Amino acid sequence: MNRLLYSIAGCLIGTALAASVAHAADPIRIGMVAPSTGGAAETGRYQINGAKLAAKEINDAGGVMGRPLELVIEDDQTTNPGAVLAFNKLASDSSVVAFLGPIRSTQVYAIEPSVRKVGKPMAFGGTDPKLTHLGDPWMFRFRPNDKISTAAMAGFGVNDLGKKKWAIVYSTDAFGTSAKDLLVPALKDLGVEPATLQGFTSNSQDLTPVVLEIKQSGADVIASFATVQTDQAILAKQLRQFGVAAPVIGSASLISATAMKLAGPDLYGSYALTDFFGEETDAAKAFSASYEKAYGNQPDFFASWSYDAVHVLAKAIGDAKSTEPDAIRQALLAVKGYEGAEGTYDFDENGDGLHAYSVVQNKDGKVVFVKRVEAAEIKAKD
Amino acid sequence: MDIILQLTFAGIGVGSIYALVALGLVLIYRATNVVNFAQGDFPMMGAFILVVCLLSAGLPYWLSILLSLAGMVVFGAAFNLGVYYPLRNRSYLPVLISTLGASILVQNIILAFYGPQPANLPALLPFRGFQIGSVFLDPQYIVIIGVSALLVVLQYLFFEKTLLGKKLQATSQDKEMAGLLGIPVKRMIMLTFVYSALLGGIAGILVAPIIYFSITMGNAIALKAFAATIIGGFGDIRGAIIGGIGLGLIETFGAAYISVPYKDGFAFVVLFAFLMLLPQGIFGEKIAEKA
Repeated sequence: MNRLLYSIAGCLIGTALAASVAHAADPIRIGMVAPSTGGAAETGRYQINGAKLAAKEINDAGGVMGRPLELVIEDDQTTNPGAVLAFNKLASDSSVVAFLGPIRSTQVYAIEPSVRKVGKPMAFGGTDPKLTHLGDPWMFRFRPNDKISTAAMAGFGVNDLGKKKWAIVYSTDAFGTSAKDLLVPALKDLGVEPATLQGFTSNSQDLTPVVLEIKQSGADVIASFATVQTDQAILAKQLRQFGVAAPVIGSASLISATAMKLAGPDLYGSYALTDFFGEETDAAKAFSASYEKAYGNQPDFFASWSYDAVHVLAKAIGDAKSTEPDAIRQALLAVKGYEGAEGTYDFDENGDGLHAYSVVQNKDGKVVFVKRVEAAEIKAKD
Repeated sequence: MDIILQLTFAGIGVGSIYALVALGLVLIYRATNVVNFAQGDFPMMGAFILVVCLLSAGLPYWLSILLSLAGMVVFGAAFNLGVYYPLRNRSYLPVLISTLGASILVQNIILAFYGPQPANLPALLPFRGFQIGSVFLDPQYIVIIGVSALLVVLQYLFFEKTLLGKKLQATSQDKEMAGLLGIPVKRMIMLTFVYSALLGGIAGILVAPIIYFSITMGNAIALKAFAATIIGGFGDIRGAIIGGIGLGLIETFGAAYISVPYKDGFAFVVLFAFLMLLPQGIFGEKIAEKA
């Protein structure tokens, strides 16, 4: 009888101990909103892989404050309502201490009010400059914003390539429209008036009217901001078909693995402004190598920003020695000179972490580095 | 002038795609009284089987196309048995929702097993296209226009000149009466689904080299095909063709001369106008009210 009592007591104590040990090693949970279904599911996989790789590296190195890091991923279905739903689901879990938001500006806009309400830091990849100027202290951008990229694009095209007749083609959503609205004044600063502006809706089957307009305008360079990769490929193909030989300068999605595979030779010779280039810095090279080892293919900027975001969030939590939202926020703002895969992170008071862009070129299917443009230099030109 | 010709070619090309899908839509609507919301997934499925056979398995193009067409026959039959048949005695609403569910299911099954990446299919003809004056002709569009025209002729002959075609017409006009006359109604409906899936599959195979394969490639096409059907009228296969090509032209010229961003809007402005002014479409139904 006694023995039975002892063993029961032993069991109880054992369970209690086990429970308290488990509590000490409770994971630190980071919520992630990313597309697993819908039009951007392909890019979502890169984002999720990048974040998972970072979490694994952190956990292999002992976690944060002795606790493992856990990613909780919700599908945003590539839609704004989907993003809001996914974010709210994550936000309702009080054990989630910080978030990784979408890379698409339109979806970041959609969930920003919820971020403000929850009051926890969110790392995001959307590059619309206004996103860090909404008066929401919880917004942290892990990619350089479009103001930098468009200024760099205008500077490179006008000064380095010597092109003065610009056609601007853009998706008529938040991404494309805001990029166009930034490029036009950036060109004006350099004394260039665009020859033609062509907006189109995403998922177009045919872009003949757009391409004809570009051809008639006599443009010698084409700035392209397409949200959907298949649109970009259709545009590139039709430009070549109609004999438009002007080089295309585009955003980073122009050299994404998907776009390059789809468009093939139609995009040879085009330039892209990218925040991530796998062979540029030691940090970028290390990330590319471990990504390729883990997943068997080359990463692109979709993977690099989420990889950096998880690492920087973990670092901030570790620096703060706390998972309190405000402590994490202060620690994020204090991040200076962190060498990530995307570049050097120096957070300013608005929550912008990166301040430089790289110009690369698609040379016969291989991306080669052209030059790096710092935000400070562009400002000096203004 | 060159520009007008170029735009006309583009409009007819893209319109032929709408027309092919619209044809399938009309056929199923006439046989079952239901708008099939998964119609856009037929082209997607046809292109997907082609992608798997050609790019993943490395089979020759002609064999891949044959396998894709065979796959669409099976898919059409399975679609009938799984999505329509169990609900055939219910009103149109459960069937409509069932087709909507099937669309989501099919897209997500492919997403789960194949993944989200789009794919680039090589064109049917190996050359890049040619120039007539300053008008550029994409050979793939010529194939699309040619195949569409051929299918329309064959379909016309089939429906109007063969007994089987007449049985199918009788079934779509009055199921009960057709049954009383000894027409095997279930088999006719099965045949309709198979043929409609086949048409969609052909559209997918033809269009994928131009707009690339992606899981959502059918969504925008199906919406336009639906608009084309309203414009052309549900009663006649000519309606689907004229509606589809008309829509392609309206879109392309609207985009060129009015506004590119509102390109998709034109389709629906025209749709709205037809619903208001000519709800039965250009070609009304053979019988005004269906039982």
